[in-house]
Amino acid sequence: MRTKLLTLLLLVSVLVTGCATATTQAPATEAPVVPTQPPATMVPVVPSQVPTAVPPPTEVPAAAPVALKVYVVDFTVDSTDKWLMDTVVPAFQKLYPNVTVEFVWGTWSTFGETVAGYFAAGDGPDIINLGSEFNGLYGDQLAPLNQYLGEAAWPEIKQFIPGTLENASWKGELRGLPIFAAPRFVFCRTDLMQAAGVTAQPTDFAGWVDFAKKLTTIDTTTNSLTQQGFVPVDAATMADFQWYLNTVWSIGGTLYKADGVTPNFDSPEAAAALKFNYDLKRAVYPDDNVGTLPPSQGSVIDDGGGAVCLWHSGWAAPAADSPIWEKIDIQPFTGDPTNFPNSKPIALSFVDWWAVPAYSKNVEMAANFLKLVFNKDNNEMYNQTMGLIPSRVDAQANLAGVVAKEAGIASQYGYGYAGILEPTKLQEILQKELGACLTDQQDQATTLTNIQDQYTQALKDAGYIK
Amino acid sequence: MSTNPYLYTLVWACGAVVFIILASLGLGRLARFVVRLFGGSKIKQSNTSVGFTFAAPWIVGFLIFVVAPMLASLYWSCTNYKIPNPPTWNGLENYTRLILQDKEFRGSLLNTLFLTVVGLPLQIGVALFLAVLLNQKSRGERVYRMSFYLPVILGFNTAVLLCWRLMLTAGTGIINQIIRGLSNAFPPFGYLNRLFIYVTEIINAFFISLNNGNFTFFNKTLAAGFPAANRVPMWIQTPLWSKMSVVILMVWICGTMMLVFLAGLNNIPRELHEAAEVDGAGSWKRFWNISFPLITPYIFYNLIVGMIAALQIFEPIYVLYRDSSTLAPSAYSMVYYLWRATFRFNEIGYGSAISWIIMVIILIITLIQFRLQNRWVQYELY
Repeated sequence: MRTKLLTLLLLVSVLVTGCATATTQAPATEAPVVPTQPPATMVPVVPSQVPTAVPPPTEVPAAAPVALKVYVVDFTVDSTDKWLMDTVVPAFQKLYPNVTVEFVWGTWSTFGETVAGYFAAGDGPDIINLGSEFNGLYGDQLAPLNQYLGEAAWPEIKQFIPGTLENASWKGELRGLPIFAAPRFVFCRTDLMQAAGVTAQPTDFAGWVDFAKKLTTIDTTTNSLTQQGFVPVDAATMADFQWYLNTVWSIGGTLYKADGVTPNFDSPEAAAALKFNYDLKRAVYPDDNVGTLPPSQGSVIDDGGGAVCLWHSGWAAPAADSPIWEKIDIQPFTGDPTNFPNSKPIALSFVDWWAVPAYSKNVEMAANFLKLVFNKDNNEMYNQTMGLIPSRVDAQANLAGVVAKEAGIASQYGYGYAGILEPTKLQEILQKELGACLTDQQDQATTLTNIQDQYTQALKDAGYIK
Repeated sequence: MSTNPYLYTLVWACGAVVFIILASLGLGRLARFVVRLFGGSKIKQSNTSVGFTFAAPWIVGFLIFVVAPMLASLYWSCTNYKIPNPPTWNGLENYTRLILQDKEFRGSLLNTLFLTVVGLPLQIGVALFLAVLLNQKSRGERVYRMSFYLPVILGFNTAVLLCWRLMLTAGTGIINQIIRGLSNAFPPFGYLNRLFIYVTEIINAFFISLNNGNFTFFNKTLAAGFPAANRVPMWIQTPLWSKMSVVILMVWICGTMMLVFLAGLNNIPRELHEAAEVDGAGSWKRFWNISFPLITPYIFYNLIVGMIAALQIFEPIYVLYRDSSTLAPSAYSMVYYLWRATFRFNEIGYGSAISWIIMVIILIITLIQFRLQNRWVQYELY
């Protein structure tokens, strides 16, 4: 009896598996799908409703089923995700009825492990949402897309802010398309400045140090800050790699020497930027026994936040419709023209983008999907759901208020955070060394030497320097 | 089929069941064959076969999920494997780099040592103290027991992280507010607080300087002298306090140790205490001469488990410093360093080598502990 039961169970399992194998063998990727319809970009999708302008695909060839998988981390829950699934995908399926689109909703906190796993296995989503720094990390593992998205194949590519396309390119080839531009600005509270008798944002390093000192107040009973003159990303440590790189670039410095790979942290610009970072920290925190501002729920430059000026992206600022914007001045960072004539105002731009991994067996179809998601209307809608600045200039036409102002500054002064070799290593090295320097664990000369040595070693390990 | 995730999952589940059945039968057959090969009787063959067939699911799982990854990790530790590039053999280069060149790994080793030497005794001490309190059979004992064990259940989730960050804020956090209040109300407490700050900062500056390879920072901290009257600990704000903040979280989550001690205290025969009481022994004497020696096996257990956990500490550091990579280097442990190499830098080969080194360190320390237990652990009563 037992043997019979076991045999029966075995037979059933084998049967089920056998059936499954037969079904999964459907050649999802063997037959290339040739879209007979015009490019998806001719199909503007109005997000609030199913697009009426979608020309119905009259003659759709019988094609093999294709399953596109998309890994997304930049989305607002119940907004971006719903819009993508309920509006964009049906519009895409009208053009390509044989295609199903599955989204994987990720988070930045597990992003590194997840995406590394995809690339290690050579198997995963056909489109992956990446951040700025990942073109240097995964660039070689992404599919070259110029043949699908280059100007000859897709004239609309000209509509993208050039700086944003830098982030989505690697070795001269587009590897995906940028969703938005997230520039870093200097946001300053004019009411707090006026209260201290300051009328405008400083324009050089010395001016900023004086400004930070003047507008910082400390409660002597708790020995803690009650107002912080300047916050460069992190109010507590004031050590941030983005901010440091921003100060280097703003005075005309470069990350690499003329050969394009040797680190340049032994340059006068790198040294001046570090000194400025240190002086600014000490202008706010005379020593490391001064307590930070109390934690705030919203933006640090909102009422109750305690900061006068903030260097950060728009998402760290108050909500776009907040009345506080009447009291906030937005500017690019101007560098130090007094001491460095090559200084220029910059708004360091980070870009998140959708890329197509080289392992994908549906590269062309993925490119077609990108064209739809990144057409004018959809790029505008995507950013509307996130409250960010669209990467396409023509998608910025309907922006209003503070976002429009930010978009204007970004277009004029945008400086791409791109082309960085071994970006995660550089970030870790900078954070560690800046932290040590700004807490007096080591002097500035040692810090610069450490950065230069460690980054050079990282580039050697990665094969960039022989 | 592949487009339907439910069917796909079902197929894989059925496939797994079939695999387990086949592997079990196969292992049973193999066991029978081996016994027959060695001239075992038919009954022995049959018994062995049945035994292995039933044990096979676990054995197969162990081989697939433990042995195979360990072997893969051992192989990768001898390769230059950085995702997305394929691994290339480099012999013992990862190990020599780790042991001889990597200053940051040495730093993480020192940090782990600090957390083990300072954090673990505190953790065991507090757990024992709480267990002794709960053993008094006072009113509401169950509520207290649950409250002290609750942190273990809560773990280090986002809400807990937020709470600790708020509580540890140097300026306005509740912990420092209490310290300020007590210091103002009882000046001797204020002096103790300053002494605590002084000692903590000196020790931490020493560790940081040891890590940096020069003692400028230590000398500077020493030169700063005894802390001013309004000083409070700068918990998660400066490198001098980053490790102590982790120690606090370690102590907070000592509920499991407490339960083990409580079980040990409950196992002590009541007559021993009663006899001692008749002889006029006070509560401290009874604890020190009766309870303590008899719970040494439990202390030993907690020490071994706690030491392994302390040497593998990751979560509290990740929780407190994952978005403050400025402070993280002053606190990161060996396992945090392993995580960083593997998942931040995608250096699988190097990460594998780190994990093997950690395993060897833990193995050596555990063996030493077992060797030393004869000197102080009291098993006689049991």
